[in-house]
Amino acid sequence: MSGANALNQLAEVLARPDVWRGGCFPGTSLLALPSGFAALDAELPGGGWPRGALTELLVDGAGLGEISLLLPALRAICGNDGKGDEGGWSLLVAPPHPPHAPAWAAAGIDLARLMVVAPAAGKRAASDALWAMEQALASAAPRAVLGWSAGADARAVRRLQVAAGGSGALAFLLRPLCTAAEATAAPLRLRLCAAPQGRLGVQLIKRRGPPLTRPLWLTLPRPKTLHWRNHASTLAGAPSAAVAARSPSWPALA
Amino acid sequence: MAAHGQVLACDAAADAAGVAPGMSLAAARAMAPTLNVVARDVARETAALSALACWAGSFTPRISLVPPRQDEAASALLLEIGTCLRLFGGIERITTAVSAGVAAQGYSLRYAVAPSAQGALWLAQVMEATVYSNATALSAQLATLPVAALDLPPQAAVRLAQFGVRTLADARRLPTAALARRIGQDAVGMMARAFGELPDPRLPFVFPAQFCADLELPAPVDNAAALLFAARRLKAALAGWLAARQSGVSECILHLHHHQQPATALPLRFASATRDAARFERVLRERLERLALTAPVDALRLEATGIEPLPGHSGSLFEASHGTHGMAALLERLRARLGETSVHGLACRAEHRPERATATIAVAQGGNGTPGRAAPRPFWLLARPQALRERGGRLYPPRCKDPLQLLAGPERIESGWWQEGEMDGASLGDVRRDYFVALAADGRWLWIYRDNRLPGGWFLHGLFS
Repeated sequence: MSGANALNQLAEVLARPDVWRGGCFPGTSLLALPSGFAALDAELPGGGWPRGALTELLVDGAGLGEISLLLPALRAICGNDGKGDEGGWSLLVAPPHPPHAPAWAAAGIDLARLMVVAPAAGKRAASDALWAMEQALASAAPRAVLGWSAGADARAVRRLQVAAGGSGALAFLLRPLCTAAEATAAPLRLRLCAAPQGRLGVQLIKRRGPPLTRPLWLTLPRPKTLHWRNHASTLAGAPSAAVAARSPSWPALA
Repeated sequence: MAAHGQVLACDAAADAAGVAPGMSLAAARAMAPTLNVVARDVARETAALSALACWAGSFTPRISLVPPRQDEAASALLLEIGTCLRLFGGIERITTAVSAGVAAQGYSLRYAVAPSAQGALWLAQVMEATVYSNATALSAQLATLPVAALDLPPQAAVRLAQFGVRTLADARRLPTAALARRIGQDAVGMMARAFGELPDPRLPFVFPAQFCADLELPAPVDNAAALLFAARRLKAALAGWLAARQSGVSECILHLHHHQQPATALPLRFASATRDAARFERVLRERLERLALTAPVDALRLEATGIEPLPGHSGSLFEASHGTHGMAALLERLRARLGETSVHGLACRAEHRPERATATIAVAQGGNGTPGRAAPRPFWLLARPQALRERGGRLYPPRCKDPLQLLAGPERIESGWWQEGEMDGASLGDVRRDYFVALAADGRWLWIYRDNRLPGGWFLHGLFS
């Protein structure tokens, strides 16, 4: 085999989307949807949320700002971002609490393009949620699927990743922080944590490309507050500034 | 199968024993003592033929039945396909599709394609799968048919045999007027219509206004797979009926009849009207797999209860968009397994009380505008408010050591006095609350309220996210 031939073959292998070198982003342009946060887009392979691949968001409970993080992408999906090119469906699978419609509408989500799948509580609820998510991705009908699952094992995540691969949709799986140490098939994993002054800390713990150790601090749209500091609480004379004062500490990765 | 003491049709085993159609029943029993004789049920045959005609509606709207005759085992369907050839892409494709469809429903079929209806009937009686698209070739072929094999009136057949007429060509060589006097005008008319010399008007099959089809199962069935297979016949009939009416079904009911027990009704709902057999089968499979049968099923009835007009849709030139159509199919599949109420859309309601401001609707539709509200609203609203602990003038969320920090508020929400005293599950009653935005020590943004009239007074109601 000649040297040039071998080089060509190597280039072919490297051009495959599922092969990437540790030091750089994959050469092929992934079909990514900009996340709406420039700092995050700069670090995401392809420059945004990947379509046709599962993205894991690791966050404990609800309320840190995970929806605000996804909002710009969801707005773009439903065609409410001013460009009006998509008009696709979004699906919420097993959300942690019932969604409050006025808030979603006020945030610019087209409710006519949003469906909620909330399996009835019971023994099968967890597996039903994963099943629904897999069906949704496999059907390729919705353009974004957000699923909450605490009990997804590696096999279930792999199934979701395979289903997402054929769909071209945004696929987000929200899992508790304790799963950070598990190996999963999702090519992109983000860990979310609270940060001072209403920001959100995002740490990319897995991506196709060079590892990123430093967390990103994103400014999210938050409810309008009266004062940031020294707000005279109606209850306590002295405000509790537990979060504002404390610098965020990252638990060591297992 | 037998009627009036005569064998009408027999299977391969009986045939091997020497039993033949036309034989008397006594003779047949003598040849094969273990013969299993089934009495003919003309009413059921006619019903089956009607169901098949419904199914054939997916090929052509002009169908005519030739009902089963007393002495003839087979009955026939006439489909006028001359006007539909272009749609289906030629005679060959349409005959393949019809044969496959009939076979899938468990019937056996002989067919012929000819320019005249009577000619096609006769060809099908004598030969297998003949296709003639021009009248000259048809005449030449018809002329060779043996008269004895055709369903001419019995008197006429006997007379013709006595004349020494063997084939249709022999018969047509005789003067028509004289032949009509001897064998009857009917037989001569049939010949003329077969050769296309006389017009052949047929009574069109009238598609029933309501679809309701029955299927008796040959043996009681107690598993989903067999039921699914049996329901395929009904499904095919429904699809044809819908195609002929340019409609789709949005809801139908499959009744499972049990022996000496009340029937089980299995409603099937579709997210949008459809006549797609594959979608129908997916929903039916999900429902059947989750159904616990109380008793074996011995008959099925499919009743279409929700029919909507379904115009054809144009294909997209550049790319296949899976938009709404694929979404409807997905939703009905999710609903079939998870239940109707588990899959829903959202809508805003003009209502101040947060619990009442969200409407869950079966089909997501364009919202009535975004509420122009400056006050913050949380993405998640807890199903029921959680009480907050108050200690030393500070608020503590459940299972949390650090106090809350109030960031914004209060926003007074006071509404629903007209429902005062109706604090039950359905209505919320009178509400007087002061809402605050609070930040928990773990960084979660909470929506809490104070209700002076309740003990404790402070509740967690929503989560900004």
